Amino acid sequence: MKRIEALRAVVDATSDLPVIATCAATSRELASIEDRDNHLYLLDAMGLAVSVGTGLAQAIEGSAVLRAVVIEGDGSLLMNPGAALTAGYLRPENLVIVLLDNGVYASTASIPTHAQQLDLGRIAEAVDLKVLQVQNTEELALALRQTLSENGPWFIHARTEPGNEPGIELLLIDPVVHGDRFRRWLSQRLHA
Amino acid sequence: MSASTTQDRHREVLRAIIGLAPDGVAYVPSASIAPIIDGALEAQANGDLALVYPVSREEEAMGLVGAYPFAGKFGVIIMQDNGFGNALTALTTFAAAYHLPLLIVANTRGGLGEYNSMIHSISEPVPELLRSANIPVFRVDRRNPPEDWGATVKEAGNHAKMTFRPVTVLMEFYDHKDGKAKA
Repeated sequence: MKRIEALRAVVDATSDLPVIATCAATSRELASIEDRDNHLYLLDAMGLAVSVGTGLAQAIEGSAVLRAVVIEGDGSLLMNPGAALTAGYLRPENLVIVLLDNGVYASTASIPTHAQQLDLGRIAEAVDLKVLQVQNTEELALALRQTLSENGPWFIHARTEPGNEPGIELLLIDPVVHGDRFRRWLSQRLHA
Repeated sequence: MSASTTQDRHREVLRAIIGLAPDGVAYVPSASIAPIIDGALEAQANGDLALVYPVSREEEAMGLVGAYPFAGKFGVIIMQDNGFGNALTALTTFAAAYHLPLLIVANTRGGLGEYNSMIHSISEPVPELLRSANIPVFRVDRRNPPEDWGATVKEAGNHAKMTFRPVTVLMEFYDHKDGKAKA
């Protein structure tokens, strides 16, 4: 499965949930599918998506917003693997991490990552995240359905092909304006 | 008298953190602020603080606590200043860039009373590093009475909320009158 195909599956399942996307090509491809108000693109902040998602999961707990969804890459997670440990330690039941694992730093010339030899799903299991392994968009859609109806914290380990979708535009947006768009979307739903 | 002064500073800082009623407190350990962290954990157990938890590195804390304001919430980070080296990218490109208020309460290292021969290499430039990144820095030391430490922490938290940005308080615990004060 291509990353953009995986992202389409996430978009289809998360129209009314906050989605935090890791930086660079992943955020750009997500925005190219649909640039929705429930998307928070991390425009830089390397390795921070799981931390932000875990913090957001804490912050929305008990509200009308039932899940915080994180789209992370293997290279980004490997830049801050302690984030997975903390997610496992805090165990937010409303956290869904979707790891798009292509084994390379796709945004930086497809240099190989540790994930070519290490199984990040096994690492997630070791820190008490609930791991679902998926290989294609059908399995990813099913996994998302399960994680949105059963308590986590979830870690969907999705294997994707290396490479970026061609012709995707840069995200030339102001982070303050973008963050405020996300905050406004979220605040309207927290007490709905 | 002087032996209790450090304890008084710890107590006032903890009281100020509790007074801010944060929705979460993330911490990275340091011996000199261990009583503040232990006190925060005790406050959580007593129901006086909502959530107090460890993180593996300071940059994690910037992401976790930085996310709170998206949901209208607010958090505090307790750490030591050498950790700003770990945190700087997350602090600047996330919390500062997205205008996310949070309070960082950090003890200083590398100054008077320091036992580590190289930690000053990161700790000394921290205030300038932060200020050059437009992160406000407020400082307290042995010359400030304990209640001023607490007042500074409390108002720094309010300042973060008021100005929609991360704000830091650097606390220098060295005290020549208190042999138990740790760098």
